[in-house]
Amino acid sequence: MDSLPYYLQTVLNGVLAGCIYALFAMGLTLIYGVLNFVNFAHGELIMWGAYFLFLAISEPFALPLYAAIPVALVITALLGAAMDFAVFRPLRQANRLTLLIAAIGLSFFLRNAAQLFWGAEVQTYGFEIRQGYQWFGLYLTPQQLAIIVISVICIIGVYLLFFKSRMGKSMRALADNLDLARISGIHTERTILSAWVISSLLAGVGGILLALDTNLNPEMGVTNLIKAFAATLIGGVGNIWGALAGGIIIGLAENIAVLFISPGYKDAVAFVIMVLILLVRPYVVIGERRD
Amino acid sequence: MDLLLHLSIVIAIYSIFALSLNIEVGYTGLFNFGHVAFFAIGAYTSALLTLQGVPFSLSMIAGIGFAGAAGFLIGIPSLKLQGDYFGIATLGFAEIVRMILQNQVAWTKGPMGLPGITRPELFSWRFDTLPEYLVLALGAAILTFLVIGFLTLSPFGRVLKAIRDDETAAAILGKNAFACKMKSFVIGSLFAGLAGVLWAHYITFISPGDFTLTETILVLLIVVLGGKGTLLGPVVGAVVLIFFQESLRFLRLPPEWSSILGPLQQMVFGLILVLLMIFRPEGLIREKGKEKIDRD
Amino acid sequence: MKKLVVIASVVSLLVWFSVAPVRAAEDIKIGAAFALSGSIAVYGEGFKKCVDLAVEEINAKGGIKGKKIEIVYEDNKSNPKDCVTAVRKLITVDKVPVIFGPAGSSNFMAAAPVAQESKVVMLSAQGTAEKLTQAGKYIFRIIPSNSKQGQRLAKMAFDMGYRKLPVMYINNDWGLDLKDGFVTSFKKMGGVVTDIIPFDEKKTDYRTELLRANRGNPKAIVNLTYINEGAVQFKQAYEMGVKTQWLCGSAARAPKMVELAGKAAEGIMGTYPSVVQDTKAYQAFKAAYKKKYGDDKIPIFGDYNYDLVYLTARAIEKGGYTAEGIRKAMPAASKGYKGVTGDKTFDKDRGMQKADIGIWIVKNGKIEDYKK
Repeated sequence: MDSLPYYLQTVLNGVLAGCIYALFAMGLTLIYGVLNFVNFAHGELIMWGAYFLFLAISEPFALPLYAAIPVALVITALLGAAMDFAVFRPLRQANRLTLLIAAIGLSFFLRNAAQLFWGAEVQTYGFEIRQGYQWFGLYLTPQQLAIIVISVICIIGVYLLFFKSRMGKSMRALADNLDLARISGIHTERTILSAWVISSLLAGVGGILLALDTNLNPEMGVTNLIKAFAATLIGGVGNIWGALAGGIIIGLAENIAVLFISPGYKDAVAFVIMVLILLVRPYVVIGERRD
Repeated sequence: MDLLLHLSIVIAIYSIFALSLNIEVGYTGLFNFGHVAFFAIGAYTSALLTLQGVPFSLSMIAGIGFAGAAGFLIGIPSLKLQGDYFGIATLGFAEIVRMILQNQVAWTKGPMGLPGITRPELFSWRFDTLPEYLVLALGAAILTFLVIGFLTLSPFGRVLKAIRDDETAAAILGKNAFACKMKSFVIGSLFAGLAGVLWAHYITFISPGDFTLTETILVLLIVVLGGKGTLLGPVVGAVVLIFFQESLRFLRLPPEWSSILGPLQQMVFGLILVLLMIFRPEGLIREKGKEKIDRD
Repeated sequence: MKKLVVIASVVSLLVWFSVAPVRAAEDIKIGAAFALSGSIAVYGEGFKKCVDLAVEEINAKGGIKGKKIEIVYEDNKSNPKDCVTAVRKLITVDKVPVIFGPAGSSNFMAAAPVAQESKVVMLSAQGTAEKLTQAGKYIFRIIPSNSKQGQRLAKMAFDMGYRKLPVMYINNDWGLDLKDGFVTSFKKMGGVVTDIIPFDEKKTDYRTELLRANRGNPKAIVNLTYINEGAVQFKQAYEMGVKTQWLCGSAARAPKMVELAGKAAEGIMGTYPSVVQDTKAYQAFKAAYKKKYGDDKIPIFGDYNYDLVYLTARAIEKGGYTAEGIRKAMPAASKGYKGVTGDKTFDKDRGMQKADIGIWIVKNGKIEDYKK
C-alpha cells in the first residue's frame, strides 16, 4: 500500500465513523432542542434498534432483511414514544437535573434489560463476510456504502422535515419558547411526540447500520454516545447542522490522529477538540441556538 | 465483622466523595459528570508518591492539592458552559484523565495498575488494621462534613444557592457568579481528591479501570437519592445505597441466578432512579424551603 | 421524612442479618469470587460450569475423605471494588479457608492483599500477569505467566521467518503484559518491532488501527486481542483486503471468536498455555463436559478451572481443611500432579514451573493444535 491510498482510506474510515456519530448526535440534539435536556438514554435506543432487527431476522420470526428493517424501526420509534410517555411526560415541568437523572436511570434499565435477554456476549447478524469493493486502492464494503448513502438520506430528510414542513416549524417554535408556542396554538404534546419518533428513528437507523457493519452488544450504544455528546458540543447546542459537522469532525480527527499518535489516545481526540473549541470559541456553546 | 468494618470504611469514603459532589451539584447547580477524575487524581498522586517513599502526610496533601489544581484548570474553560453542557465537558475531561492514566505507562504503569500501596502513617500513628482505618476514614468524613457544613451554612453557601436558582439575578445583585462557581468547583475537587487518597491507601491496589463513568454515576446516585442540596443527604444516600447493594449478597440465591441477577439488579437500580425522579425528585431528605420543584 | 430514612435503614439491616447463612458444618466449603455479572461475565459463566463439573465428579466419588465439597459463589461484578467486597464476604461470613480468585489480573490483584492479610489461600486459574502472586505466600496460580507465553510467541514468529513485524495489543493488563513479554524476547532474538499499536477494549471500529499496522504490507502482524475485539478486527481487516499472517495470544483462542469472524479468521495462529488435548485425561474431561452441558465447546480457561478444583481437593486432603494446612500442602500436592492441563508443579513464586505453551491455528473454521 503506498502513501496516497493509505491516507485516503483513513479519511474514508473517518467519514464512516463520522456518519454514525452524526446520526446519533442529530437525534440527541433534536430532543435537546425541543425538550431542553440531554437524553442519556439515546444510546439505548441505538442499541435496542439494532437488537430489534436481530430479533426480527432470527427465529421464530426469521423475516427477510427488507421486511425486518422497517419492523425494527417502527418498534424502536414505539420504544422512544413509550419512553417519553412513561418517564419524560410526567417530568415536563421538572428541572434539568431531574430529567437528566431520570434519563440515566432509564438508560441503566434498558441496557441491562438487553443484557438480561441476550446476555453480555457479542451477537452478529450473521451475514457472510465479504471483501470490500476496490476503487483506486480504496476498499469499501456494501454495508459501508449503505452507511454513507443512508446517512445522507437521513440528513436530507431531517432538513426537509425541520425546515420545510409544518411539523418542523412547530418543533422550532417549541424549542424557542415552550409557553409561547403553547399559547400560539401549537399542539405541544403532538410535536414533542414527533420529535421523539424522529429521534428514535435516527437512533434505530444508526444502530442498525453500526451493527450491520460490526457486531451487536448491549454496550454498543453507550460507547458511541459519549462521542455523540462531544459532537453536539463541538457543533453547537441544539443545532442540527452543528451535530452533523461535529460528528464528521470527530470521526475524521480521531482516525487521522491514530496514524500519528499512540492509538491508545484515540478516544481522547474528540474531547481534546472539544476542550480546544471551548477555549477558543466559547460562545458557540453558551446556549444560543443558531438554526 | 470484618465485612461490616469493610463496608463502613467504604461508606465513609463514599460519603466524602458524595459530599464533595453535592456542593457542586446540590448547592451550586453544576452538573459535574466527571467527578471521578478528581477522585482518580487524588488516588494516583498519593499512591505514586508513597510508592516513591514520600511520607503519607505529604503525599496526601499533594493528592488533595493536585485534585484541586486540576479542578481549577478544567474550570476555566468549562465553567462558562450552561447546565448539561458543563456536564459533557467534565465527562470528556474525566475520560482524558483516565486515558492518561491508562497510556502513560512510564508514569502510572498503565493498565497494570499500582499494587502494594502502603497503609498510611500519620504523626507516628499507623492505620493498618480495619478498625484503625475506619477511625481514619470516619475522622476524615466527619471533618469533610463539618467543613462543608460550615461553608454551606455561611453566606457563601447562600450565594451558591442563589446562583443555582437564578444566575442572572445573582449577577445583578453584584455577585461574581463565575468566581463563586469556581470556588465551589475547586472545593468539590479538593474533597474528591481526599476521598481518592483514602481509597487508594485502603484498597492498596488501583488501576485505571476503577475510575470510569460508572463510578461517577454511582456517586451521583448517592447524592440524588439522599437528597441534593442538603448536608445530611449524601451520607444517608451512601449508607442506604451501599447497604442495599450488599444486602443482596445475603439473599442466598442460587449462583445460577447471578447471570440474571446482575442485570436484574441494575434494572431495579435504574427503575428506582426513574421512579424517584418522578415521585420524589428531592431525594430521601428534602431541602428546606424547597417544597416546590421549579423549572429552570 | 426521617421516618423514611429510619425504615430504609432498618429494612436493609434486617435483610442483612436475618438471612445470615446457616448451613451444614461438615461440608467442605470453597469460596469462588467469580465474575457472574458485569463486563467479563461471559468468562465467569464458563469457569463456573467447569468448576461445577469437577465438584460433581469429586463428590460422586465420595468427596474429600467422605466430606462433600461445596462451592460458595460470590459475584465480583467484574470490577476491583466488588472483587474486594466479595472476597471479604467469603472470608468473614462464609469463613472459607481457600478461594478461587477473580479473573482478570487487575481484579485479582486488587483482592489478593485481602486474602493475604486474612491468611486465606487464594488461587487463580487464569491470571497471567507477571506480578500476580506477589501479594504474598497465600497466593497461587496454576497458569503460566505472560512472559513465558511472550517468549514462545516471539520464538514462533522468529521460527516462521518473520524478522520485522508490528505489534497490536489490547490496552489492558493482559495485553500490555504480554506485549512487553513478546517485545523483549523478540528484540533479544534480533527481531525488529516496527510499530506498537495499543487499542481500546469494546470498540466497534478498528479500521484505522489495522491500516496503520498493515502499513508497508508486513508479512505478519502480532495482534494480542480478545474474543470480541478480535472478531471485529479480523473481519474489518478482511474487508479492507489486509493479507497477512495474524499471530495472536491465548485470549483470542475461542470458538466464539471464529464463529463471529467467520472466514476472516481462517489461518490465524497463536500461542496459548498449552493443553495437550489428545491425552486420555483431556478426552475424559471433554466427554464429561459434553455429557453435562450438551456441547463440547469447552469455555476458555475452563480446563484450568477444572484442574483448580482437583488440585485444591488434593491439597485439602493432604493438609487438612485449614488455610495454613492448604497453603503448606499446596507445593507437595502439586508436585508431579498431572491435570488435564498438564503438569501443575508450583515454582518458588507459586506459579507454574512447567510452561507448556502450544500453538493454535484456525483451520476450516475450527481451532486446532498446530503441527508442522
